[in-house]
Amino acid sequence: MVLGAPHALSAPSPRHRYTDRMIRDRVARLVSALPQAPEYATQGATLFVDLERRQVQRGFTPMRVVRALLAGRGANMFYLHRLLDESLHPLHPDVPLIFGSGVLTGIVPSAARGNATSWSPESGVILDSNAGDYFPSFIRMNGIDHLVLYGCAAAWTLLHVHEGQVAFLDAAPYVGLDNIELRERIPQDFGGAWTRDLAMVNITRAGENLVLTSAIMAGPKACYARGGPGAKMGSLKLKAIVVQGQTRDFETAQPYKGYNRTIAQKLLDTSVVKHALKTTGTPFLYKPSRLLGAMGTKNNQETTWTDRLDADHITPYRPGMAGCFRCPVNCRPLNELNQDASDRYGRGDGPEYVTLGKFGPNIGVDRIESVIRLNNICNDLGLDTASTGSAIAWAMELFQRRVITRKETGGLELSWGAADVAERLLFMLSRRQGFGNVLADSTRAVEKGHYPREALNYRMAVKGLMQSDPHDARILKAFALGMAVATRGMDHLRNRVTLEINSRINDDPAFKARLYGGPVSAAPNSYEDKERAVRVCENVYGVGDAVGMCRFTTKLFNSPSLPGLEEFSNQIANVTGLELSAGQLDAIGLNITGVERLINARLGVGRADDTLPDRWFNEAIEVGAYKGEKIDRAEFDGMLTRFYEISNLDPNGVPVPEWRSELEAMLGP
Amino acid sequence: MILVRLPSTLRVGASDTLTVNEPVTTVAALIDVLDRRIPGFREQLDDSVFNFAVNDEMLLYHARDRRLADGDTVEIIPTISGG
Repeated sequence: MVLGAPHALSAPSPRHRYTDRMIRDRVARLVSALPQAPEYATQGATLFVDLERRQVQRGFTPMRVVRALLAGRGANMFYLHRLLDESLHPLHPDVPLIFGSGVLTGIVPSAARGNATSWSPESGVILDSNAGDYFPSFIRMNGIDHLVLYGCAAAWTLLHVHEGQVAFLDAAPYVGLDNIELRERIPQDFGGAWTRDLAMVNITRAGENLVLTSAIMAGPKACYARGGPGAKMGSLKLKAIVVQGQTRDFETAQPYKGYNRTIAQKLLDTSVVKHALKTTGTPFLYKPSRLLGAMGTKNNQETTWTDRLDADHITPYRPGMAGCFRCPVNCRPLNELNQDASDRYGRGDGPEYVTLGKFGPNIGVDRIESVIRLNNICNDLGLDTASTGSAIAWAMELFQRRVITRKETGGLELSWGAADVAERLLFMLSRRQGFGNVLADSTRAVEKGHYPREALNYRMAVKGLMQSDPHDARILKAFALGMAVATRGMDHLRNRVTLEINSRINDDPAFKARLYGGPVSAAPNSYEDKERAVRVCENVYGVGDAVGMCRFTTKLFNSPSLPGLEEFSNQIANVTGLELSAGQLDAIGLNITGVERLINARLGVGRADDTLPDRWFNEAIEVGAYKGEKIDRAEFDGMLTRFYEISNLDPNGVPVPEWRSELEAMLGP
Repeated sequence: MILVRLPSTLRVGASDTLTVNEPVTTVAALIDVLDRRIPGFREQLDDSVFNFAVNDEMLLYHARDRRLADGDTVEIIPTISGG
């Protein structure tokens, strides 16, 4: 892999001016070959924004690409494939940052999502992160499906999008502002109101400081989190993109609102929505994970934790729920710790399950109030709670093992459960101050010389990306395979076979076989046929990202009853006029991951990177009904080989030659 | 006696716990008893969101065949995934 590339983390020098930019040649070639008018009803333009020269070019994603990859995450990969120069480094201004909304984003209930795509400065592999809230929908209201950003602005810049036009504004008044204050300032300066006619993506000081765990914020909590997108946006000196405009109906190919009602009803009738998402949100998962003995605790040295963090204990601090644009679910829990207006972190959005796990058991914190407060701070500082929590947990284990001492931490005692220290570290990290500078380099702390090589033995990461969720996957082998093969690194949102934890489904083999297109073992700790379930989920979720559907409300992630390929097929036809069967959509899902694997191969990724942290192979779980469980290397390798075979991949994990040729022909030169 | 703990969305009346004094030997038999006591209970449980935990042990498969003994606590737990 390229993770050790000597200049992989180098930020562009602010004094360095690029005069002969390859990116411009690539963009020029690409734009010259793009249609200049929509290819289907509701299609928005792709804007190529040169931040250095303050120029904008337009085109539309060609139909051959739409039929192969759709929009959102799918077409983002087309643009990245065409524009990436892998001889550079992720934070080079010639490496583009690409925003893309889905085919159905802003039009269909619960389809409020979009992706941000680039080359990750944190992991060294593809950066592809998904968020909702209002930006992905409001950018479409302006007739824009994709924004391709490149070039380092001469000074901090804010892009203002209104009526489909882009203005380059001076961002100097906003530099140094974190999320809360920036979101207070923007409506005052631009007019409009959040959720009504104003949306924004922005970075915080963490992004300005190129912190590798920094997010691009899309709302008070919603963010493009994974892979360091905040640092990537910061490397372009782009502080924010503000989008204004009234919401509107789209001119679709056929009437679609009737089927929207069908989808909305399907969402609201699904029990997981009624019983969990709509009432409490994702923290519900904490209890099943800890009871199973699969709750990552103290950097996954242990696997269960206190019941004091069960979702019920958040209820007294939850004044209500919020949601994304036109989503009937409203799964985002709000929080209020106190009514002291002077306490900036006394209220906020969240926490979600990931944050609960990463800032609870994973760093040994057992007070729900502490977790909520740390959550609110992360939202303000613009941090990916998964990677940030993991980086702190990794440091705490190194401190426990005396791999690092107070000498390296600047006198800080990194004890498990020290929420006050964790709070201090968050601010230090966002400013790259003291030991915060070490944490800010996330998984790359060894490569950067902060930790000795021994530290890698305790790093919970795959492909250079810290684990996304707190679930310890030594028991559930489908979960483990999913995190090993996920194209962006160790992340559960790309392919998780969540229904493996549902006994009602495991105990109905015929139903389970129908879900996954063939038999899959009922035993959660079996390796048998798990590759089939991961493949199906990866395809469905890839399509979900390409149409803009929320993962939580996509079939197979939380329920077998939620909208899936059939519903996407019907509504794509209504909205766009494109006839794509469920089977064709399934192939599109495979194509998306195929292109991602082609890009990753250019970045040096191969079979050896589709693996898991050593801890899961070497150390067994010590509690619960699955005590003694770990990952068997030979069994895992066999499962991975079978996954490659059914995924049309060669033994190194890249598309087989015939399919590769087809994909490359579709992508173009 | 079996103690049954219910999630808030399945609570019967004001209580989140039920006591079953009839002799039951499996989770399936427990569901039978509860369905007689609470009409429609079985139908509500025929739903992939609900898992069973017996004495704090999550049952991921063969849940309804799980043997029960006097004094056991059975908890019905909604399971979801999240981000």
